[in-house]
Amino acid sequence: MNQTPSTNKSAAEIASVLVVVQASFSLMAGLSAIPFAIVEPGLRVLAVMTILMAAATFWLAGNLRRGRRWAWAWLVGMEAVSLAITAVLSLLPIGTIRGPVPLLVNLLMPVSVLVLLAAAKSDARHAA
Amino acid sequence: MYDIATDHAGGLSAALVTLAFGFVFVLGLKFLAGRRGAWAMRMTQAYAAAPSITKVAATLMLLSGGIHLALVPGHEGITGLLFVIDGLGLVGFAIAAFLTTWWRRPAVLWLAATIAAYIVWVVAGWETPDQIGIACKLIELVALGLLMRLANPTRRTWPRRAWRATAFPLMACLTTLGIWVGGLVHPDALHAHAGALLQPVAAVASPKQQAAAARLLADTRASIARYQDPAAAILAGFKPGPVSSAEPLRHFENTGNATAVLDPNRPQALVYAQTTHGLQLIGAMYQMPRAGQWGPDSGGPLTQWHQHEGICFSPFGIEFSLETPFWTCPVGSTSITTPPMLHVWIIDNGKEGPFSADLDKTVQRQLTGRS
Repeated sequence: MNQTPSTNKSAAEIASVLVVVQASFSLMAGLSAIPFAIVEPGLRVLAVMTILMAAATFWLAGNLRRGRRWAWAWLVGMEAVSLAITAVLSLLPIGTIRGPVPLLVNLLMPVSVLVLLAAAKSDARHAA
Repeated sequence: MYDIATDHAGGLSAALVTLAFGFVFVLGLKFLAGRRGAWAMRMTQAYAAAPSITKVAATLMLLSGGIHLALVPGHEGITGLLFVIDGLGLVGFAIAAFLTTWWRRPAVLWLAATIAAYIVWVVAGWETPDQIGIACKLIELVALGLLMRLANPTRRTWPRRAWRATAFPLMACLTTLGIWVGGLVHPDALHAHAGALLQPVAAVASPKQQAAAARLLADTRASIARYQDPAAAILAGFKPGPVSSAEPLRHFENTGNATAVLDPNRPQALVYAQTTHGLQLIGAMYQMPRAGQWGPDSGGPLTQWHQHEGICFSPFGIEFSLETPFWTCPVGSTSITTPPMLHVWIIDNGKEGPFSADLDKTVQRQLTGRS
């Protein structure tokens, strides 16, 4: 990669902000499932899992900013899986991507994070 | 649940035009700088020297400003005036990011105020949250987060560090909550209940439509009478849906009838109530083959189809919750939109009537003991 360290740092910073936004939305999805979990037992597990995952994502975002390579690797994995799931679901006739908001949140944001993580790669390697 | 409001549709093209304008503007500056234009050279140098994070934040502010300005014609009075001020302010800060040193803190306040104002407007019911508005808040949230990362704290006391770590996620969560509350408290005219979009129909039924609706009710009642015993329904190919402590009604679906359209002899599902004496047949459900494909509205406003949107559906039984305004669902579930459906209640459904999206709450309580 021919980028300067400052560019790489910026890429990691921008990626971490996007990841924090994603984590906040996950946290709200987890919290919003709690009222439904009162009457639907399966959602209790999903709600707790979602909140824990949001907490882990916040933590990974912080460690990405600190240049930790393992945080970078985990985030690449998470975003790639999220993107793959969205791609599969969007092929099904269930209305997963319907309008600009799902397009931005479920497609453009993971793609942007992956691109930024790729740009930040060399910086993370130096810090490890 | 969140569509694109007609008067906001221009926001999408405005976003593309603004991006194109920004790109051409930067190219133009570079061209003029090449011709030794003093101010163009100064601006080009300032742009080149700015960190990527500033460039991205400025682009996002420009984008949001452009969308706000494009939406002014659809907003009258004080809202329209605020859109003008807000749009100009955001565009101004996007330019100031490369020309001044003081821009960051006022821009943070401006973005936070813009987001807060939107939440106040939707919670008060002065604005219906739609996808353009929500997308705009997403853009502003990301811009706000980037600007907050640009801060260079001089004092690193633990309350300041805690504030720096939590302020932005808190803002993102409060924005989500605010939009959600606004959308649920003030649904638009085409949303019967959370997540159900109603088919647009005329306000008053004609005599012909009234007769068609009465005929559909009579035909359905006569046709499904043979399934009073759930065992008969199972023998005919209807598969019972999962038992849920949350849902006192059970749908028995027949995939063999999937292609039939409003055929009383081939309904897509039967609806039973879980009463203390066992399952009681209370109606049928007709469903179209595909989402967005409204059924024949022979009964006009009396037989209004509805489709469920924004439901987070998990494959573990019929567990579901509602997706957030930013289209996120709990892990293990996914957002779905069902094909349009029409219920025909063969029992007296109180004031809701025989074709309502939901069973009347009082009737449901009398039948099942639960609401």
